[in-house]
Amino acid sequence: MSLQHYLVISSILFTLGIFAVLTRRNAISILMGIELILNSCNLNFAAFSRFVIPLEEVEGKIIQNIDGQIIAIFGIVLAAAEAAVFLAIILAIYREFGSIRPDEVDTLKG
Amino acid sequence: MEFTLKTFIFYGFALITIASAFAVVTVRNIVHAAFALMVTLFGVAGLYVFLQADFLAATQVIVYVGGILVLILFGVMMTSGRLEMRIHIERGQLLLGGGISLALLMLLITVIANTPGWKNRTDDGTLLPPTTERIGELILKEKFLLPFEVVSVLLLVALIGAALISRKEVRD
Amino acid sequence: MVVPLISIILLAPLAAFTIFALLGLAKRSFPRQDLLSTAAMLVALGCSLYLLKEVVPKPDPHTVDWISLGNITFSMGFYLDSVTVIMLIVVTLVSSLVHIFSIGYMHGDPRYPRFFAYLSLFSFSMLFLVVSDNLLGIYIGWELVGLCSYLLIGFWFEKDSAANACKKAFLTTRVGDVGMFIGMMILFWQLDFKTFSLYGEGGIFSAVATTDDKLWLSIAGILIFCGAIGKSAQVPLHTWLPDAMEGPTPVSALIHAATMVAAGVYLTARMFPILTPSSSLVIAYIGGITAIVAATIAIVRFDIKRVLAYSTISQLGYMMLAIGAGSYVAGLFHLTTHAFFKALLFLGSGSVIHAFHAMHAHHDDDHADNAEHDHSLVHEHGSEIPPDQDMRNMGGLRRKMPITFITMLIATLSISGVPFIFSGFWSKDKILGGVLGRAMEWNSIHHYVLFGIALCAAGITAFYMFRLIFMTFFGEPRNQEMHNMAHESPWVMTVPLIVLAALSFPVVNHLWFNKDYVKPPPQPHIQAPQHAYVPSDTKIGFTLFGLSEAEAADEEGGTDTEQSDKAHHAHEVAHNIAMVLSIIVAGLGILLSWLFYHRRRFSAEAVATTFRPVYNLFWNKYYFDEFYDGVLVTLTVWKARLFAKFDLSIIDGIVNGVATITQKIFAASIGFFDNRVVDGIVNRVAEVTWAAGGRIRRIQTGAIQTYLFVVLGGIVLIILIFRAL
Repeated sequence: MSLQHYLVISSILFTLGIFAVLTRRNAISILMGIELILNSCNLNFAAFSRFVIPLEEVEGKIIQNIDGQIIAIFGIVLAAAEAAVFLAIILAIYREFGSIRPDEVDTLKG
Repeated sequence: MEFTLKTFIFYGFALITIASAFAVVTVRNIVHAAFALMVTLFGVAGLYVFLQADFLAATQVIVYVGGILVLILFGVMMTSGRLEMRIHIERGQLLLGGGISLALLMLLITVIANTPGWKNRTDDGTLLPPTTERIGELILKEKFLLPFEVVSVLLLVALIGAALISRKEVRD
Repeated sequence: MVVPLISIILLAPLAAFTIFALLGLAKRSFPRQDLLSTAAMLVALGCSLYLLKEVVPKPDPHTVDWISLGNITFSMGFYLDSVTVIMLIVVTLVSSLVHIFSIGYMHGDPRYPRFFAYLSLFSFSMLFLVVSDNLLGIYIGWELVGLCSYLLIGFWFEKDSAANACKKAFLTTRVGDVGMFIGMMILFWQLDFKTFSLYGEGGIFSAVATTDDKLWLSIAGILIFCGAIGKSAQVPLHTWLPDAMEGPTPVSALIHAATMVAAGVYLTARMFPILTPSSSLVIAYIGGITAIVAATIAIVRFDIKRVLAYSTISQLGYMMLAIGAGSYVAGLFHLTTHAFFKALLFLGSGSVIHAFHAMHAHHDDDHADNAEHDHSLVHEHGSEIPPDQDMRNMGGLRRKMPITFITMLIATLSISGVPFIFSGFWSKDKILGGVLGRAMEWNSIHHYVLFGIALCAAGITAFYMFRLIFMTFFGEPRNQEMHNMAHESPWVMTVPLIVLAALSFPVVNHLWFNKDYVKPPPQPHIQAPQHAYVPSDTKIGFTLFGLSEAEAADEEGGTDTEQSDKAHHAHEVAHNIAMVLSIIVAGLGILLSWLFYHRRRFSAEAVATTFRPVYNLFWNKYYFDEFYDGVLVTLTVWKARLFAKFDLSIIDGIVNGVATITQKIFAASIGFFDNRVVDGIVNRVAEVTWAAGGRIRRIQTGAIQTYLFVVLGGIVLIILIFRAL
């Protein structure tokens, strides 16, 4: 259970998320991929916070610096906001185009 | 490395997480994919527990599984009109995406393996105090007060924005 | 105490005008502008009277810096001495009375409020001119006065004659103003005074004393006097003033008494210290010629206002003559006495016109058409006399309009120089005595000639003024219909007449005879010539009434006591001689007038027939207008045509030729280059871009995942490349 374990797990999650974003033909699947990516990030924050910063001893207690965890919590909040807005956009697109296939939404096509 | 119950459970969680994430990106039924995502999120929460981030693990379960995942399911239902929805994947795109993803993974693992400061940082089993109290102090009293407030505003904005974007157009 | 008082005097009339102007912007008018303007003038009058007590005998300058250009600083300020204060009182008093008179005279005019606003602005301009201590300030006031007279003379601008008259007044005075400006510039540059301030250290007057460039000083003096020639209607720029009678009669009173024409005399008096013997002589001659020319023209006029207009010109000539002959005090003295009795005469004639005019209103409400009623009144030269101003329609009015008659008679007695109890006698006598005194002191033939001219003019003045009185108020009514309609004017018009009549008696003369009160400024460039003749018997002369001792002032103030004594004696003698002679000529003039126009012992027509050429000369006003029309206007038009032809044929030809060459040769070749080379390059570039764009745009699929592929593929590639390196 070293730092590198966590990092490998999180990079696998990240790569899977990227794969989903690149290949899925459904906007909601893409959203799921993004969630995977965000989770991998949060996992990284928590892992770095646990392993990279040394433990301190204050008044006889061993104290862990948990700034990384708090950033991860903020990341979760961010993911929630992002999901809400993303879904709202998907709804609007669905209403406009009758589809949520990303390759059909190509108004910007040159 | 000693193969204890703890490490066994850790590897179990890691396996569940990766396998379910793989399912998320591969299954054709989008509802199945959503449920696989739920498993992944639980797995990540378990990993947080191993990192002794108890509050973070709880938040992960409550917010992700209780909130975001439900939101995603709602999105699925509103846009497809039926619960089952097939996902088309083209072969060429699949190969290209897989190639890029694999290359990225190789790169990341190379970086992880070769970065000197990241080697040999193992969990020595020290039991740390619970984090909830400390997080409360940091967010509400100490250096994260301002970001906390900013994030609250961000949430409010996202809320209003989501409502505004998704509502039906009102004719003047 | 002085500065606030001056400020009130200046600002009260300006405020009255400003209120009118600001409301005018809002397209409204103050309902009682007449009372506002009159009140403002009365306030100014009160302050001026207070100043009489406050200021003097010490001159009191108040100056602030105005503009700095490099190391030259122009200042703006006030200068108060006894003369200034007296002028302030004259201006404000006459202006106040004119305001009051106008309330009655202008009643019912469609632009009634505007008239009073203009009067206020006029008064302000004149007051500003009077108190300024520097040439720039005087010049500003000077031009403002010109503008106001333009506005007021052309007040009834619907009438062509009025519109022309105001233009004529403006342009004619401008001719003089140009001269004045050049004069100022000569003082500034040629004589290197580098200042416009008159008084104090480094002022023009202290600089004049040390300069010895008499030629340029004389030229500057004469040029500045040109401004006064224009403003004070001296020959040869006097022609605008009779035409200015087209304005409303109260305006005529104001112009002739207190403001416009007085400005010229006042300026000349102010410039007294820079005069040299030659410029003095020019001024004196122009004054003398003006006095006699205008007086002779006045004899033959029938329009009551024109008689008074020529009379004014003549009297202004007197003042100029006095100043030119070194009689500073006499000139200004006559200015003030003349202001009162001439204002009275004009307001009186206004009263008469008003009486007739009311009758006319029955026939025709429009002023503009008055002159067209009676074509028999159009005299041979084409200028028309409005019937309500024609003395041939009057007569016998003394019973109908007793107040107007008595007050005008007082003024006439005053202007004619009837001795001792009228102010005009004293001032005119002081002028005549001053001129004769200068003649005897310097033994100067010029001044003897000038004295003769002035004496003749005095006699003629008495003659034509009584002619006016006899024709208007005595005898039988010549036009019974008009006579029946005539009536005495309302009290707002008669009260100013009575006040002015009271001022035609010598009530303020003691100010002028007090040598400590009014002192002529020194003239550093004028000394009596060495060969000056002094009468051997200083006892000759008439010490009549014991007045001559006090008034025979040695106004030049020679440094040498012996010379001063001689001058004193000369002036004492001269004043006595002048007094007797002036009484004689005045009596002669009145007697002749009585014989001609009242007793009808002689026929004026018969005399006119006998001396037909002379009569024609007077009748046609010495052909000044004809000269200007025939020579100057024709010359200008001819010159303009010549230049127009030059412009059209030669300059336009050159321009057109150049244009053609440019068009045909340069434009064509440049056009070719532009079309083929420049446009070719631009079009080729555009085509290449277009074709490239058509291919490249296919990269833009619009699908979001394509972009992501590219981005991520790019990242991987970049990292791989860096690893390979």
